[in-house]
Amino acid sequence: MKSVLTLALPKGRLLDGALELLAGLGVEGVDAESRKLIFTDARRGLRLLFLKPADVPAYVTYGAADLGIVGKDILLEQAPDVYEPLDLKFGFCRLVVAESRELWERDDPAKWSWVRVATKYPRLTEEYFSQRGVQVEIVRLDGSIELAPLIGLAERIVDLVQSGETLRANGLVEVAEIARSTARLIVNRASMKTEHAAVTGFIDQLKGQLPR
Amino acid sequence: MKRIPTQLPKGARIYLPDEAARKRHVEGTLLGIFERWGYREIVTPTFEFLDVLARGTDENVQASMFTFVDRETGRVLALRADITPQIARIVATRMRDEPKPIRLAYLTNVFRYDEPHVSQYRELYQAGVELLGLEKQEAEVEIIAMTMEGLHGLGLHRFQMDLCHLDFFRGLLDEIGDDEVARDLRAALARKDAGTLERLVAAAAPPSAVGEALLALPTLVGGEEVLDRAGSLARNARSARALENLAEVYRLLKIYGLGESVLLDLGEVRGFDYYSGLYFETYVSGFGASIARGGRYDDMLGRFGYDCPAVGFAFDIGRALSVMATQGVDVPLPGPEFFIIDFTREKTAALSLARRLRDRGASVSRDIVSRALAESLAYARAHRARHALVVGGERTAAGELLAIDLAAGTERVLTVADVLEAPERAFASTFREGRS
Repeated sequence: MKSVLTLALPKGRLLDGALELLAGLGVEGVDAESRKLIFTDARRGLRLLFLKPADVPAYVTYGAADLGIVGKDILLEQAPDVYEPLDLKFGFCRLVVAESRELWERDDPAKWSWVRVATKYPRLTEEYFSQRGVQVEIVRLDGSIELAPLIGLAERIVDLVQSGETLRANGLVEVAEIARSTARLIVNRASMKTEHAAVTGFIDQLKGQLPR
Repeated sequence: MKRIPTQLPKGARIYLPDEAARKRHVEGTLLGIFERWGYREIVTPTFEFLDVLARGTDENVQASMFTFVDRETGRVLALRADITPQIARIVATRMRDEPKPIRLAYLTNVFRYDEPHVSQYRELYQAGVELLGLEKQEAEVEIIAMTMEGLHGLGLHRFQMDLCHLDFFRGLLDEIGDDEVARDLRAALARKDAGTLERLVAAAAPPSAVGEALLALPTLVGGEEVLDRAGSLARNARSARALENLAEVYRLLKIYGLGESVLLDLGEVRGFDYYSGLYFETYVSGFGASIARGGRYDDMLGRFGYDCPAVGFAFDIGRALSVMATQGVDVPLPGPEFFIIDFTREKTAALSLARRLRDRGASVSRDIVSRALAESLAYARAHRARHALVVGGERTAAGELLAIDLAAGTERVLTVADVLEAPERAFASTFREGRS
């Protein structure tokens, strides 16, 4: 059996939390600032990949990584065929519908029949509105979503909020919550079987690091 | 300029000659094993009436069937998405009087309107068997042993068989008796999502022993000790029967010497709904999806009016090919044994040599294009020919030929008459190891 497990980590807002957990397991010397995409801790038999968050599920689904750490928001959006054994309980945020304060003051969500929404989460957005019988035109963006209503690209956005500070700073108001998200550990289906002892051992160690 | 339409629909796949040869190798290897275990091939229709196919097919598989309309009757037709219900129906209606057990093998394509993922397309190829009329656990053991033989036969190593039993879980669900809760619990377990599982169990508030067993499910994975742990958790008859059944299969597998590659897994609940008992999935290290799966489906034939126990399994050939590529399994891709180049005007030597060698079972192709010898030899090499036979070239006299062994890089001058007289003597090693 192969001795090294590969763990895919998301660059960006979840990385510090993930590295903190790993430091608790004794994985040290990881330089998150360096531009290297692979880090190997031979002593612990662990190889780390640093990826764009939205790419983590693909690496794990195909078995290029045995395990991954990724936000629940991305798992809901992509619905990858992987195991999801642990809620790592950090990186809490919410996926919400937001619009400008000006619109909000005269808006009634119960009367929506057609909306245009800018988002990084087309699937969740589509699902949320269509379940309510609302037709939605989706403007798929990759970043700076808050800009869209200010410029008139779309009246509303669906995006992640942590403190709500970014929304406030851009004159936006939350109208509805779609989902809540924290970081999750995901596991490739085959790795769970073929590397069963190593993978479950790693899950248990990680679980030991989590707040009760 | 007008663009010529060449686009393929999503999920369609072409196998070019080398890929097709590899695919044929996998199919031939598996069918050969099935045949050696006494299975007879059966062929079923690619399309049937939807309502007929749907009976016996899992609901979520039904949802992904390709459908179209029969011009004559206006009824909806569908491409088969799963061959097992078809075979079950055929046995129930056309073969029920045959002595049992019935052993059937198939090589088929099935069609599913799914998002393509991990080497699976919308047309997928499967090789598998169904073993009908046996209640005994030896039936499960036979198909598991055949699956292992298939994996070895394909040259794969480092694989793991996951042995599961949906009835252990179903027994626990019976004690809750709420279909919606059952569906949510199964979805959470399928993802091994411990947090959601905890929340659902807390909300359903089942008897404490049932709750405890449900929460333990994701950890009920491993060797024999899993059976003891699970036994102390389940208090209902259905779960207990499932464990007994699993224990017996495991005992027999150990007798077969197959205990090592097996993982007992009561927390895996992704199998087809129609599995009534044990089912298994096969994983290979370094490849993200199962490549063969099977199980027991005792209630399926009853849906077609004939109660008959049955087990079966299938290999996913596309995935098997991907795994072989990942593990670097080399599939021989032979070209023709002989490539004949004739520079004479009459070509009589070429024709008689080709006829004679083919009669002896060798594969022979001819260079019909007129070109320089070097170009002809380059073509022969590109097609992986073993020998080039050159007639009427600069280095041979009339009635002679130059035999170039393209693999070894050696050459000999032979007479055409000698080769025609006794091809086996002139090319002894080729005929000894050839496919004839």
